[in-house]
Amino acid sequence: MISVKNIYKNFGDLRVLKGVSCEIEKGEKIVIIGPSGSGKSTFLRCMNLLEEPTYGEVWVDDDLVTPVDPYLHFDVIRASRTYAEKMLAARQANPEKSEEALDSEIIWEIKEKDLLKKHEGGAYNALIKQIERENSLNINLARQRIGMVFQQFNLFNNLTILDNITLAPMKLKGLSKAQAADKAYALLERIGLKDKAAAFPQQLSGGQKQRVAIIRALAMDPEIMLFDEPTSALDPEMVGEVLDVMKELADSGMTMVLVTHEMGFAREVGTRLLFMDDGQIVEEQPPKEFFANPKTARAQDFLSKVL
Amino acid sequence: MNLDKKIEVFKKSLMKGTKQKGYQRVLQGLKNTATIAVLGLLIGIVIGTLIAIVKVIPKRGWISKTLDKIVTVYVAFFRGTPMVVQLLLSYYVLFPLLGIKMSSLAVSIVVFGLNSGAYVSEIMRSGLLSVDPGQMEAGRALGLGYGMTMWKIIVPQAVKNILPTLGNEFITLIKETSVVSFVGAVDLYSVFNYIGSSNYEFMVPYLCMAIIYIVLVLIISGLVKLMERSLRASDKR
Ligand SMILES: Nc1ncnc2c1ncn2[C@@H]1O[C@H](COP(=O)(O)OP(=O)(O)O)[C@@H](O)[C@H]1O
Ligand SMILES: [Mg+2]
Repeated sequence: MISVKNIYKNFGDLRVLKGVSCEIEKGEKIVIIGPSGSGKSTFLRCMNLLEEPTYGEVWVDDDLVTPVDPYLHFDVIRASRTYAEKMLAARQANPEKSEEALDSEIIWEIKEKDLLKKHEGGAYNALIKQIERENSLNINLARQRIGMVFQQFNLFNNLTILDNITLAPMKLKGLSKAQAADKAYALLERIGLKDKAAAFPQQLSGGQKQRVAIIRALAMDPEIMLFDEPTSALDPEMVGEVLDVMKELADSGMTMVLVTHEMGFAREVGTRLLFMDDGQIVEEQPPKEFFANPKTARAQDFLSKVL
Repeated sequence: MNLDKKIEVFKKSLMKGTKQKGYQRVLQGLKNTATIAVLGLLIGIVIGTLIAIVKVIPKRGWISKTLDKIVTVYVAFFRGTPMVVQLLLSYYVLFPLLGIKMSSLAVSIVVFGLNSGAYVSEIMRSGLLSVDPGQMEAGRALGLGYGMTMWKIIVPQAVKNILPTLGNEFITLIKETSVVSFVGAVDLYSVFNYIGSSNYEFMVPYLCMAIIYIVLVLIISGLVKLMERSLRASDKR
């Protein structure tokens, strides 16, 4: 569904993600937990490019949505002038070594020292262009397939609940007003808020807003849903109603990635848990095993604080 | 002269005049003041919108970066120098150099428009920036483009912040029109000044002038308040 390949994200001098990779398969419910500031939101937001990774690639199915990261493609490295020059020198210096050994040494060195930034030859540029031409997908099209739910709901304040839900399907999927409204009402019915269709977001409680935000994303028929701490901004008595909607969604087979502090929900619904700390995925396990038996000291420390 | 006498003199001079009676002059001045302020604001809104667009859109290519530098200089110039200086420079230096012949009234309108554009751009920019960034993110996350999200979501919310502030800019413009007599345009100030100096009696004409300015400003700020209230009411809904 989405594969994140070795992404780094810097905000100025601040290094927030330090080489994160993840393959998300259809139907998975991935939960991401970790201390505050460890880069969970940034990681999630890189998946739909709300944040642009500094290095690394994001693929949505077979489509590349970031620019090509040359270091992830050996053939691109091999096509570079830098590689050719190094190879020539290495062959003369070490005639006894095999081609393969030299090849892997040079690729490693080029990656490690970030040598591809310099002037590069036509073969290299052509290869990058070709990869992009063959694979890259406009991010707006990719985002139509990726729903996202925010901590702060982010319903459109100038639109009614109905218009919040119908705007994107009408503009992007070519649905007529009536078709989009039918769909919106069906979704509102599902969360029991049909009578709020004409209301404005300011008139809804936090829990209601978040449920609407979820179905607003669902109205685009996404293949995967991203949740960034969807219940953290809610009063405790409203958490349940939002988790219920998410549980139902999970049971319906939706692929989900969820950043959360709701450990009970993570254990119940998650199929895979990623524990993040300091911009890296430190531990990856099925949630039940993780909670019963965290392997790393950092995870043990974290769990002892939150449980 | 006692006050009654002064008022008498003023009244008389309102009815005096060969080509134009005194009161007709006053009306002319009022009209010019209003024309300069209204057209100045309209031009300002057009220029201000364009500048705000340049300022707000993400900067990627060299075109948007260059445009950004240009408008930054523009705004710095018009906000950093007094209106009188801009007026004098345009009327006596810039326009003659460019070979443009325009009446002092037309020059005043243009300069007020250019000046107002700089201020309006800041009003619009901060209006747009005051909208929660989460709104843009939500639109983009659904797959809506930047322009579409701006137009459907951000701009309608920004307008609520922008409209009342534009009213205040209009008030500023009205008051500032009093400098156009520096280039010989006829406005409220210059007609009352004319009446005063023709009788060597300034007290009553100047008082009268002040009252007209205050009434104008009160009317506009009343309208702005009404607008604010109706916008706020639509917020509560
Ligand atoms: N847009 C941004 N600009 C600068 N720093 C940011 C930005 N977004 C996040 N950060 C920083 O990145 C770090 C990780 O943030 P985040 O991904 O939100 O962590 P988490 O969601 O795990 O709490 C924090 O130190 C945060 O201050
Ligand atoms: Mg976060």
